[in-house]
Amino acid sequence: MPLFVSGLNHRTAPVDVREQLAVDEDKLREILHDVQATSALSEALVLSTCNRVEVYGVADVPGEARAVCFRMLCRQRGLDPARLEGALYTHLEADAVRHAFRVAASLDSMMVGEPQILGQVKDAFALAQACETVGPTLHALFTQAFAVAKRVRNETEVGRHAVSVSYAAVELARKIFAELGGRAVLLVGAGKMGELAARHLVEQGAYPIYVANRTWPRAQEMARALSGTAVPFDDLPTALGAVDIVITSTGARHAVITHDMAARAVHGRGARPLFFIDIAVPRDVEPSVGSLANVYLYDIDDLRQVVDANIRERAREAHRAEGLVEREVAKFLARLSDVEVVPTIVSLRARLEDIRAGEVRKALARLPDASPETRAAIEALSAAIVNKILHVPITKLRESSRAGAARSWTQVVHELFGLGRAAGGD
Amino acid sequence: MSPVFALAVIAYVIATGLALAYLIQRAEVIHRLASVVIVAGWVLHAVSLLRLGLELGRPPLGTLSEALSLAIWIAVGLTLWLERASGLKVLGAFVLPVVSMLGVSSAARGLGLAQMDRALTSAWLWTHIALALIGIAAFMLNFAGAIMYVLQERQLKARRPGAFYYRLPALETLDRLTYRTLALGFPFLTTGLILGAVWAGRAWGSVFAFDPLAMLSFVAWAIYAATLAGRAAAGWHGRRAAYFSIVGFAALVLTLGAGLFLPGRHGS
Repeated sequence: MPLFVSGLNHRTAPVDVREQLAVDEDKLREILHDVQATSALSEALVLSTCNRVEVYGVADVPGEARAVCFRMLCRQRGLDPARLEGALYTHLEADAVRHAFRVAASLDSMMVGEPQILGQVKDAFALAQACETVGPTLHALFTQAFAVAKRVRNETEVGRHAVSVSYAAVELARKIFAELGGRAVLLVGAGKMGELAARHLVEQGAYPIYVANRTWPRAQEMARALSGTAVPFDDLPTALGAVDIVITSTGARHAVITHDMAARAVHGRGARPLFFIDIAVPRDVEPSVGSLANVYLYDIDDLRQVVDANIRERAREAHRAEGLVEREVAKFLARLSDVEVVPTIVSLRARLEDIRAGEVRKALARLPDASPETRAAIEALSAAIVNKILHVPITKLRESSRAGAARSWTQVVHELFGLGRAAGGD
Repeated sequence: MSPVFALAVIAYVIATGLALAYLIQRAEVIHRLASVVIVAGWVLHAVSLLRLGLELGRPPLGTLSEALSLAIWIAVGLTLWLERASGLKVLGAFVLPVVSMLGVSSAARGLGLAQMDRALTSAWLWTHIALALIGIAAFMLNFAGAIMYVLQERQLKARRPGAFYYRLPALETLDRLTYRTLALGFPFLTTGLILGAVWAGRAWGSVFAFDPLAMLSFVAWAIYAATLAGRAAAGWHGRRAAYFSIVGFAALVLTLGAGLFLPGRHGS
């Protein structure tokens, strides 16, 4: 019975359609129960996030099943089904498998590599399982989809490389200092983005945190929020010499950290690297500071460039991940189709073994004086004949399943050998 | 040249290609494949060294090609260990090209061809060679670390992340690698050179005696000594130390080249 996926996502439907169609867990439960009642689908799973609404299912007539599901969804949300026309896509069999793998691995996401989607797919799977709409096919499909997602995450860098300015700054810090644990940070100014970057650094173990601000109470407040220490603004030159990472985000009109100030700080600190993250506009750190030895200076434009480069790098990695997914799809289909022919092979073997055993018994009954050697020879002879006869049909069956023609072959074999009801023909 | 050694060198060359492919592609499969080929090459190399030693009835260090071969073997072993211990998977891509180059030139000169003057062999001599070799092996890794440092530092200073930004580890990791390999290699090279000088003094009555390898090796030693002193005393780190390491290794390669291809007492 064909596997299909049908739905819409951020590329095919505008946000107003998506938000109208997105449903919460209780509603999903109802829909899954209704779907089960219609018997248009033998298995079903609904994935509903803010970027996609999709039905994965197994149905004799996928077109009909799709219509049933989306009629229900639209009724549930009071949406005119006509609005979905043109936005809906449907993939069958191999394409459906590929789609499921790509979605779970976050290759189909708006921001490729974003980590939430895998959890959302897992939730949808758990819900469908709870509603007992998951059968063997969807179970196999999604178990494998989770494994593929994990492989993509581990073997490619599609989920790495920051796509926000504040995280890009943290990653840069880690390319300079291998470990952020125990690195001292100085936050100058009270800009939101500066605070965010400082927070990320604290999460990575950076310590201690110093906060400087022209307004002393503001410095104290921020220091409390970050579990840091407030330092007087005039002590900035001294503080520079004691820290590893400096984040500036003041509203000052002129540079707060001058070349001379930075040069003196660098001189006093030996050759330990000093990393300036200047998020302020206009800039807080004089650009020439970046030319000092062992000093790395990134302003907001530089950080944006890094983010752009990161996004390009993610795209390159996504390309690699697509190849991995493609191989996994082929493997999955091969296994799935092997599963289709295995019962036939088993019953074929059993049938011939029955015949063989019966005939051997009859023959031996007619030879009461046969020596044990003769009996063994007859056993071996008959077994060898059966194996020789079975060899080609079994090979052909396996090949047929890989070529996607398992159903007609299993039916022929069942007819020819009188194996009873053909598997997969129901 | 023994076919086993030839096979080992071929394995190193293939592994170099794979390691570079891994640097570009970062596919786990390629790295695993490269590791298998390196280990295979390394084991073959060990077998060839052992066989050569048994055949000659002396340590396989009698000629510079043989010595170079052992230095490569040590360097590959160190690389394998470091890659595992530190998770620095791209190290191979920077060490193996040097290994392959030296391996091919060592193979080109042939091993075990020259007859050693029995009178010249002594425990002093073997110790001199062995210690210098461990030093050279450590400096191969030191060079690789320095190259990686310079590449990564350039990217970070330029503020435009390119391919190396994503592929190379943090600056401090690389700085630590170059410092440690320098600290490991230097004492060995120093002791090796002193023993060599003492031995030369006893055998020939003069320390340098216009041997090109001996002269150049003291130049390389001086560069490394300056780097180490700069790091330890003046707090040199980062780029300057890395540049010195690169120059030091260039001098070392020149030294070995002179020994391999110029006439002299270290000649093949």
